[in-house]
Amino acid sequence: MIEKIFIFIFLIFVFFGIVIIDLEDHMKKTKQKLNLNRRNFLSGTATLASLAATASIVPINISNANHKDGSKGLPSFINWKDRNALIVHSDKGIETHRSAIGESLITPNRNVYIRNNMPTMTDSQIGNRNNWKVSIEGVKNPKTFTLAQLKKLGHTTVATILQCSGNGRGFFEHKVRGSQWKTGAAACVFWTGVPVKVVVDACGGIDRDAVFMTSAGIDHEPTGLDPKKAMVERSVPKKVYQDAMLAWEMNGVPLPNAHGGPLRMVTPGYFGINNVKHLGKVAFTTKESSVKYMKSSYRISPIGKKGSQYPSCWEMPVKSWITRPTNETGTVKSGKVQIVGVAMGGTKKVRSVKVSIDGGKSWKRAKFIGPDLGKYAWRQFVLETTLSSGNYNIASLASNGSDKQPELRMENRRGYAHNGWKDHSVNITVV
Amino acid sequence: MKISKFLLIIFFFTLNIQNSFSEDDKMSKGLEIFNEVAGCAGCHILKAAGSEGNVGPNLDTVSLTEDYVKEMVTYGLGVMPAYGEENILTKEQIDIVSFYVANTAGK
Repeated sequence: MIEKIFIFIFLIFVFFGIVIIDLEDHMKKTKQKLNLNRRNFLSGTATLASLAATASIVPINISNANHKDGSKGLPSFINWKDRNALIVHSDKGIETHRSAIGESLITPNRNVYIRNNMPTMTDSQIGNRNNWKVSIEGVKNPKTFTLAQLKKLGHTTVATILQCSGNGRGFFEHKVRGSQWKTGAAACVFWTGVPVKVVVDACGGIDRDAVFMTSAGIDHEPTGLDPKKAMVERSVPKKVYQDAMLAWEMNGVPLPNAHGGPLRMVTPGYFGINNVKHLGKVAFTTKESSVKYMKSSYRISPIGKKGSQYPSCWEMPVKSWITRPTNETGTVKSGKVQIVGVAMGGTKKVRSVKVSIDGGKSWKRAKFIGPDLGKYAWRQFVLETTLSSGNYNIASLASNGSDKQPELRMENRRGYAHNGWKDHSVNITVV
Repeated sequence: MKISKFLLIIFFFTLNIQNSFSEDDKMSKGLEIFNEVAGCAGCHILKAAGSEGNVGPNLDTVSLTEDYVKEMVTYGLGVMPAYGEENILTKEQIDIVSFYVANTAGK
């Protein structure tokens, strides 16, 4: 009797086994169906209608797929970067190692982090760089300039800190979506280009009623996505134009596509998102842009809340962090130790940095080293000290004269604008 | 007696098949949602799904937990729609596509 029951159950499972084989066949067919759809789309004969209907997005052309792995484990569009200096969160989020920042005042291009909201434009999409166009609106005489014309209009070089709004997100303890940056979504860069003020003067000056400078990229265009959702258009207070520039060089070379080439807005002292890449338009406006990247994204809101009523990621706060020694630089030998780091004042000049080797119980003033490249660049600092064997928590605390780093992070929903010194400290073991 | 032991082994073996049946079913449905319902394929590279979108991260280069994917799909990020908050997908669809992505991304 028992044998008969088992045989019955066995037959039932054999039946289900057949169903499984059928399901696998169905999966293969689904995948084949997608590939057929893509081929049809590429040849211009069909679109993924259900896709567009449900998510209001359109499949992109396969020729844009320039983000496959390069030979060094980096996406091909940045396979010229130094893989050893970088932490790859994804092919769109790549961070500089803490120890790969502080050995030079300027961050070499090969070490600079990557954070792109849209796919980097390719050479073929950009075409002749000198023919790249940017329109200037909200001025007395609106004009469109080519890059070649801008180069004749004016010329300047400025060092600024480029920092992602979410740099330090990896220290937040609540679940925060997005790349888990620690310290490496930041760089100090020389930009060369034309001051916005010069361009504005060439257009007869700004409209009297303007309140904001609104910059728009065109990197969403090849994707075919809805501009309201995909266009990176950012408004900042009008006053920013006085120090802003349209940059075509980065650290002495033509602005790489991966960093927004051939032309990028540079808004000194403001978070990276406002330094719009692949710049196509600058407008002086009475209202903030209404696109998603301005209206709802990049808002510093309490955990569990969101909305355009909360502050946008604009001015960077005062901040510093240790770059050497760290657990990345290996074991620290007892004796004389150079504690090195970088410090920034945000929109003001950084005035002082203090260093603690005991987790913030006591502080010693560090010495600024290297040239002062202006208030928008960071300063390197060093504290020479003697450490005996043991465990140390090393922290740095910067001040710009009116503000200093807080001990703790400002808790917020998306993990923006973290400048608390405690989380940025490093634990080292001296032997 | 020997037949009983043999059938007992077959019984537990087929129980495993039963489990893999439900997982295979979820994978199949997840693939369908990824490619044809939610449109994830339009924006992400994922070898397992044959997709080559280039707007969001290449999912072949990242390892993701199911909970993380659920969070991303529910609330969106940047240009990625909030599929849950905006009622583009049902909770069940989000669970299934998250299971699928977590089990194929970075593999």
